[in-house]
Parts: sequence; structure tokens; C-alpha cells
Amino acid sequence: MVATLRSLFARRFKEVPAVQDVSFDIDEGEIVGFLGPNGAGKTTTLKMLSGLLYPTSGEVRVLGHTPWKREQGLLSTITLVMGNRSQLLWDIPAADSLRVLQEIFQLSEHTYRASLDELTDLLELEPLLHKPVRNLSLGERMKVEFAAALIHQPRVLFLDEPTIGLDVTMQARIRRFVSDYNRRTGASILLTSHYMDDVVALCKRVIVIHHGRLLYDGALTGLAERMAPHKLIRVTLSHEADLASYGEVVSHEENTTTLKVSREEAADRTAQLVHDLHGQMLDLTLEDPAIEEVIDRVFSEAQVALAAGV
Amino acid sequence: MRQLLRVYRAIFVAEFQAAAQYRVQSVLWLLFAIIRPVVFLAAWSAAAATQGGRIGDMTISDFAAYYVAVTLVSQLTMSWNAYDFELEIRQGKLSPKLLRPLHPLHYSVVENIVFKVATMPALLPVLVLIAWTFQARFATTWGHVLLFVPSVLLAAALRFMFGWLMATFAFWTTRVHGIMHVYDRLVFLFAGQLAPLSLLGGLASIAYWLPFGYMLWAPSEILRGGASIDQALGMIAIQAMWLALSWLGFLGLWQLGLRQFSAVGA
Amino acid sequence: MQFALEYRANLALDLFEELIIVISSLVAVLILYDHTSAINGWTEGQMIELLGVYYLVQGAQAVVFETSFERFMEHVRMGTLDFILIKPVDSQFMISTRHVQVPQFGQIAMGVLVLAIGIAQVGGGFGVLDALAFAATLVCGLLLVYSLLLVLSTLSFWFVRVENLLAIFWSFLDAGRFPVDVYPGWLRVTLSTVVPIGIAVTVPAQAIAGRLELAGVVAMIGGTIIMCWFASWFWRRGLRSYTGASA
Repeated sequence: MVATLRSLFARRFKEVPAVQDVSFDIDEGEIVGFLGPNGAGKTTTLKMLSGLLYPTSGEVRVLGHTPWKREQGLLSTITLVMGNRSQLLWDIPAADSLRVLQEIFQLSEHTYRASLDELTDLLELEPLLHKPVRNLSLGERMKVEFAAALIHQPRVLFLDEPTIGLDVTMQARIRRFVSDYNRRTGASILLTSHYMDDVVALCKRVIVIHHGRLLYDGALTGLAERMAPHKLIRVTLSHEADLASYGEVVSHEENTTTLKVSREEAADRTAQLVHDLHGQMLDLTLEDPAIEEVIDRVFSEAQVALAAGV
Repeated sequence: MRQLLRVYRAIFVAEFQAAAQYRVQSVLWLLFAIIRPVVFLAAWSAAAATQGGRIGDMTISDFAAYYVAVTLVSQLTMSWNAYDFELEIRQGKLSPKLLRPLHPLHYSVVENIVFKVATMPALLPVLVLIAWTFQARFATTWGHVLLFVPSVLLAAALRFMFGWLMATFAFWTTRVHGIMHVYDRLVFLFAGQLAPLSLLGGLASIAYWLPFGYMLWAPSEILRGGASIDQALGMIAIQAMWLALSWLGFLGLWQLGLRQFSAVGA
Repeated sequence: MQFALEYRANLALDLFEELIIVISSLVAVLILYDHTSAINGWTEGQMIELLGVYYLVQGAQAVVFETSFERFMEHVRMGTLDFILIKPVDSQFMISTRHVQVPQFGQIAMGVLVLAIGIAQVGGGFGVLDALAFAATLVCGLLLVYSLLLVLSTLSFWFVRVENLLAIFWSFLDAGRFPVDVYPGWLRVTLSTVVPIGIAVTVPAQAIAGRLELAGVVAMIGGTIIMCWFASWFWRRGLRSYTGASA
């Protein structure tokens, strides 16, 4: 009983740093992906960048402003889109909510029309704008959300899991839109996502965050190189064969074998295989390991490192 | 300033459209809003009847006028933002609002006005019916009507501000509705819904020191002509003072609350 | 463990809120009686007794509603009613204890407490006959409310969204805090028939206060029997039309 009462008044907290020693710079026009498992700190980072959170120490500057001060000058040039979350009024058509946004952002009729036309074009909004938002499907709603988020032509976009819950076609559509938008307007985009496909399709640069620490900041392709020191050779022969001598057999299906070899030896082994088996070889590809695998490995290794107190 | 008005107008149109879809609920809400004062009016009338028709300096007709006034003022000044705010935080809808160049407060101001504008046409005839049933007697002069306008505006602003003050507690705890229930009860006791403050007996002296009476009782008394012009001016002054205090309190709490805001799950 | 604590903390808070509400209502009565010694013949103690009965009935109504009718209407809305109807239980009494909320029992408890305070205030206790009359009319009152809820729920067979009617019922509940005779004609009639909360609270309160004639008890019982019969009949009609239609 006493414990119950006490829990009302004194919540016992454990201080867990959400984000520690994370530093980076992002140039105009970049699309950067934040990768990390749940609770890694990527959403926290995004919120600090957009001004929704105050960092306990350190400095954040976006377009020359300090985000958490939420100055007018900054707010009219940034936008936040959260997947599966609606910021539009539910019961009225999106077109009417957009009008409200026009006033809030003080867009001239000309600017507003131009912006709306472009977005309608890119997102195929025509049939959706005049239906009450609650009558739209999830995918349609996401499109309309994007329109509302971009009507003021922001220069910095914060996208938090924008494709979550959408079907595959819609995800591809949104990805295409984001990349088009970046190309057309040169806006900088910061994206967090669970879906590797989002990151692979859009981001040349990724920042990996785990347990609040920055594990990697660089090109996506470099990630595989740095983190997974092996490559995969997939060989399809005209008949069964045991290729264990060429490398570690990862999988074997009918006549197709996947071998894992270290990066340094990849070229040599490939050459060897061609030399030895070219008569029976139907297909041969040299691949980087799947990005998911790389990420998984990165995280589990990081976990081990952390546990070891590195 | 002109820009702000344009924003307000745009939000008003949008919210009014949205409100039109909830007509039935609004009417039902009105029903509850009317039953409560009728209940207490009936009780006081019955009590007065046993005392020769008056209690203190109020006859049954005076009580009727008072409760009609209280109901009208109640509707004109009501504010529910604390509940909405807690919900918004939980649904994660607050974050995007914070990132737009418009303080979230403005949305709720317009929503508030929209609701009142939409429900007033339904309320007025019912009030007339009640006034007629209980033979309400108003001692209102033009001076009173004139002073009623600023008084009710101040009362509405005061109630709104207090509502937002309570709402900011949602930054620290998820149990705002619990706090709100207790707050509502205090309002019920000390704002004049139960009885005009002068009849609160031992609690009257406390009531005059609290802000709640100036949210309901003050403008109601002015409207029905129960307060002299001098008294009315005094009430308005006190209302303004409380409004200023609550505004400052809110500003401070809001800043503190935002710092605390961790948008969990937002 | 944390969850259990959290749950209990919420419970404590709910009960505390309940307490505040009841206390403020009691204060309201006390303030009224600061200015008069009787209202329509009801003394302060008797009025407090009535307030106790009011919270008793309110709490009981909430418990009954949440255990039976809320679930039923949800089933109708979700179309899962058929599963319920094939079970070998009398459909009218689809009682479930799963949804009972503790605060309602708290309300009932506080109702009893306030009633006790009222009885103490009145002094002189009450006779066996009064107690019997009280019990009988209280049960009748609850049955009347139950019947009304049953009728409203039956309407769900035809109109899926009955919540608005229920909301009307609940807003009238507030009027039960004072004896039904203080209200003007049309309201008094409404509270005695269509929305029987008025008599459900007033009559038992009269009984315990020793203000009820035998005729009153008989009328109450008679009216209740009629109402229950009607509600049950209406229910069966609704059921028939529902099962008939979906065949």
C-alpha cells in the first residue's frame, strides 16, 4: 500500500543518456538516412534537430538557427512528417486544411497555387483533395500528409518513418516522390526508417546510431565495405558440384551455390572459379552482403563491444 | 496582427465545417449543460418557498434570473482544452503543431469560439423557456448590459487561461483528467453554479478570494442586474487582475513544460 | 510489478476523485440548509439520506450498465451478437463480470456512507417497516432503471447507434440528487416515467425517512412489475425481429 502511494509521488528514474557524443554536419541538398534499431536514439536525434527536444549539452544548428528556440524564420523553412500520424483535420477535405496552412505560412496566392499544383502533379492528388481526410485510405492519407507538409516549400525535411504501414506499391511511390522532390528543390532531407529499401533507394549517406552512439557516418556502399569484411559469390552450374574448397558455403539450392569469401580474396576466388568451371558455369555474381545483414552484424558487434566496456 | 486575423478566419472556417459533423453531440451536450442549473434552481426555489419566498435578498424570480444568466455565461465562457491537450500529446499530434509558426494556443481559441457560435442558437430558446417557467425577474439596466460585455469576455479569457494552465500539467503527468475533475469540482463550488457567492455561508469569504467566482458568478450578477454599477466595475477590475496573473503563470509553466516535453511515442 | 503498482495508483486516484465529488455534493446540501430548515418538507438529515440513495443508485446503475448493456451494444455494433445468442443462457441476462470498474463500487460504498450520515443526522433511527419499505422500493427503483436500459439497448436491434439516447438518459441522472417533488410539472413527470431516476431515488429515500405511505410502496411495486414486463416483452420482440431478419 505504501509502495502504491509512493509510486504516485516519487517515480524512480534511471538516467539513461538517449544520445551521446553524436556529431555530424549535413550539407544542403543531401538526403541522409538514420539507421538504428528501436530505442537507438535516432528519433531522439531527429527531434533535437527539429527542435522538439532540448539537448542537455551540445549545440544544434539548422539553417543557421537553433531549432529549440523555434524562431519564426526557421519554422517556415522546415517540416516534419511522421509516418502513420496525421496532422490534418480529420473531418474536412485536405484542400481546406491546406488553405489554413497557406495563411499560417503567409504564402501568397501565386506561391500557394504553384506549390499545390506541383505537389498535386507529383503525388497524383487530384481525386483526394476534396474528400474528408477520414475517408481516405492509409496510402492516400500519407500522400495528402506530404502535401500539407510541403506546401510551404521547406528547405529541410525531417521524415520519421514515412513509409511505415504502407503497402509495397505505395512505399515505392513515396520513395520516388521524395527523391523527385529533392532533385527538383534541392531540399535537405533527414530520414529515419525501419525499411532498408527506403534507405537504399534514397540515401547516399547513412548515419548509424545504436545505444545513442554514432557507429558509422558515411556512404551507404561504404557501410558494407567497412562493416562486413566479406563478399558473396553466387555460382550457378549446369550440374551439382561441391564448391566448399573455394570458400564457405552459405547456401546451396539445386545447382546454385552461394559462397562467402573475405573481401581481399574475392577477386582471386572469382577468377579461380571461372578458370576451373567456365565450361559448366551458367551464372556468376559477386555481391555485397545484404545491407540488413550488415546492419544486424554492426549492431550485435556493437552490443558485444559495449558489454565488454570498449 | 492583420495576418493573425487572417489565420484565425481560415481556421474558423475549417473548424466550423468540422463541427457541423458533430451537431447531434453538441445538442446533447447542451442538454446536460441545462439540466444542472435547472436542478439547483429548483432546489433553491423550493428552499425559498419555505422561507416566505425569499432567501437573503433573492426571491424565486431572482434565483431564476440568476440561473438563466449563469447558464448563458457558462456556455459563453466554457473551455475544455485541458482534456484535448492531454489527448493531443498522447496521440502525438502536438509535435507537428509545435513546428509550425503558430502557437498551439491559437487553434484552441478558434475551436472554442466555433463551438460557442454553433450552439448558441439552440441554447437561447431553451433559456427563454426556463425564464418563463420560473418567472425570472431581471433588474438589468443599459449600464449593466454595457458592462456585461467586457465582463463576460474577461470571464471567458480567464476560464480559457486557467484551462490552459491546467493543461500544461499534461507535460508532466498523464493523469491530467484527474486533476481536471478536482478542478471542475472546485469551479462548481466556488464559481457560482451551486449558488450565488453571497449565499455560500461560511465559504463565501474564501470564494471572494478565489478566481473561480470571477469566471461565472461575476458576469452573471452583472447581467441580471444583481450588482450595482459600482460593484460591477470592481468585479471587472478583479477579473482583469486574475487574467493577468493567470496569463503570466501560463507563460512560465508553458516554457517549463516544453523543456520537460519528451514527446514520448510522438 | 510496476504495472500492478501503476494500476493501483490509478485506482486510488479514481476513488479520490469520487470522494471529492461526493463531498462537494454534500457541501452543496449543507449550504442549502444554511438558509432553511426544510425543503418541501425534507429536513437536512432526510436530504442527506436522499443524497446517499442517489449515489447508491447511480453506482448500481453504472455497474449494471457496464456488466450487461455496454457489452451487448458493442456486440451489435461489431456484428458478433450471433455468438452470444447461441449460448445456452437467457439472452436478456447476458451478465458478465469482466468489465466491472471498481470506482462504481466505490460510488455505491460512498452512497451507503452518506446514507448512514443522513440517518445519524435525522436521529431517532428507523423502524423495521421503514427498512423493509426502503429495501423493496430500492430494488424496484433499480429494476425500473434496468428496464429502461433494457428498452434502450433493445433499440440497438433497429438503430445501431443508441449512444445518443443513452447520453440523454445520463444527463437526466443529475436531477436525481434532489427529491422529485422540487421540480416543475413537466420535469417531474419525465423523471417519474420516461427517465425513472426521479422515483428510483426519491421513493426509497422517502421510505427510509419514514415519509412513505403503504399506498406509495404498492404503487411503486405495481409500476415496476408493469415496466419490467414491458421491457422484457420489448426485448423479446427485438430479438425475434433480429434473428428473423438474419436467417
